[in-house]
Amino acid sequence: MSEREFHPLVKQLLDGDVTLADLPAELRAEGEEALLILGAVDRRPVQLGDFTARVMAQVVERPRRTFWRRVLEPREIRVSVRPWLLVPALAAAAALVLWLGRSGPAASSSPALVTVRFVLSAPDAHAVSVAGTFNQWNANATPLVRTGDGLWTATLTLPAGEHQYAFVVDGARWVPDPAAPAVDDGFGRRNSVLTL
Amino acid sequence: MRLETGSDGEIVRAVLAGDRDRFAILVERYRDRYARYAARMLGSADEAEDAVQDAFVRAYDQLGQCKEPDKFVGWFFLILRNRCFAERRRNRTSAPIEAAEAVAAADRTDGGAESADRRRALQLALLELTPDQREVFVLKHVEGLSYGEIAERLSTSVPSLKMRMHRAYDRLREQLREQR
Repeated sequence: MSEREFHPLVKQLLDGDVTLADLPAELRAEGEEALLILGAVDRRPVQLGDFTARVMAQVVERPRRTFWRRVLEPREIRVSVRPWLLVPALAAAAALVLWLGRSGPAASSSPALVTVRFVLSAPDAHAVSVAGTFNQWNANATPLVRTGDGLWTATLTLPAGEHQYAFVVDGARWVPDPAAPAVDDGFGRRNSVLTL
Repeated sequence: MRLETGSDGEIVRAVLAGDRDRFAILVERYRDRYARYAARMLGSADEAEDAVQDAFVRAYDQLGQCKEPDKFVGWFFLILRNRCFAERRRNRTSAPIEAAEAVAAADRTDGGAESADRRRALQLALLELTPDQREVFVLKHVEGLSYGEIAERLSTSVPSLKMRMHRAYDRLREQLREQR
């Protein structure tokens, strides 16, 4: 074990599973060093002042979403994935689909286009792509780019309407969105549904 | 502020039905708890306040997408969490210095120099963790949640959280030794 790593029993001490007295004598000093970390944790509350009034002032200024606001304003749809569906090393993951805006006026004969950004937090993944009805479910067609802190992003311009999609992690794991609307693909898999 | 009670679900449904003012009850109910989470995640009280404010306004805008009104707080937490992760990505180069200064300034009027130094050192070390490691440390050791509660909130498993946390312990030890 490296000098830099705590002994597993010391980690159990930090987790609260054992006490310092449970440690063998040779680990007591390391245990005391570890407990200094917890002693330095800052649990003081953050003073927010008239925070609620400020939030409500912003809320009051925002009319309830009308049809045209929904169509014309950017909006964000949160998507989360369950990491235990992924490779074990894949840490907490979450994705955003951000509606960036429409390009051009809606024409009666052709659907409007909407720019959408897919963002997935998958810090331990080696490759992430998005596959869906917009790219014929091709897992190689739309790779996401790693931007830092384990985030992966791709920006697409899609026709307004309904699209189904899933993230593909490390080329093998298909990850639907359990929080968003989903449909059965008929093959035992769930696809996420994005309505633009 | 009206002194009013009601479950989160009842309030969410009332707001969606047009009683906008009742959203303030949810803000009052959860602002402090999540401001502290955001402050420890971002390393800055000012950034935390902005993040929590944005998250509440966004939650209001998207309230119709809260599929289970009785679980509003879990849904809100994920909005705030995404906001915090995105903020850290934008500001990761400057935040540690600001964080240390913010902690030091707050400590001038609160507690001894030695404990202030230890808090400052830990806050800096926390900012060197990955966001996922920092988050599990904050939820367990600042917010006092159990591994089971964190697993439910983040839709993950206890073993994977423990693995993440144990890596965080090692990295904190390394960082704190380097700071000496």
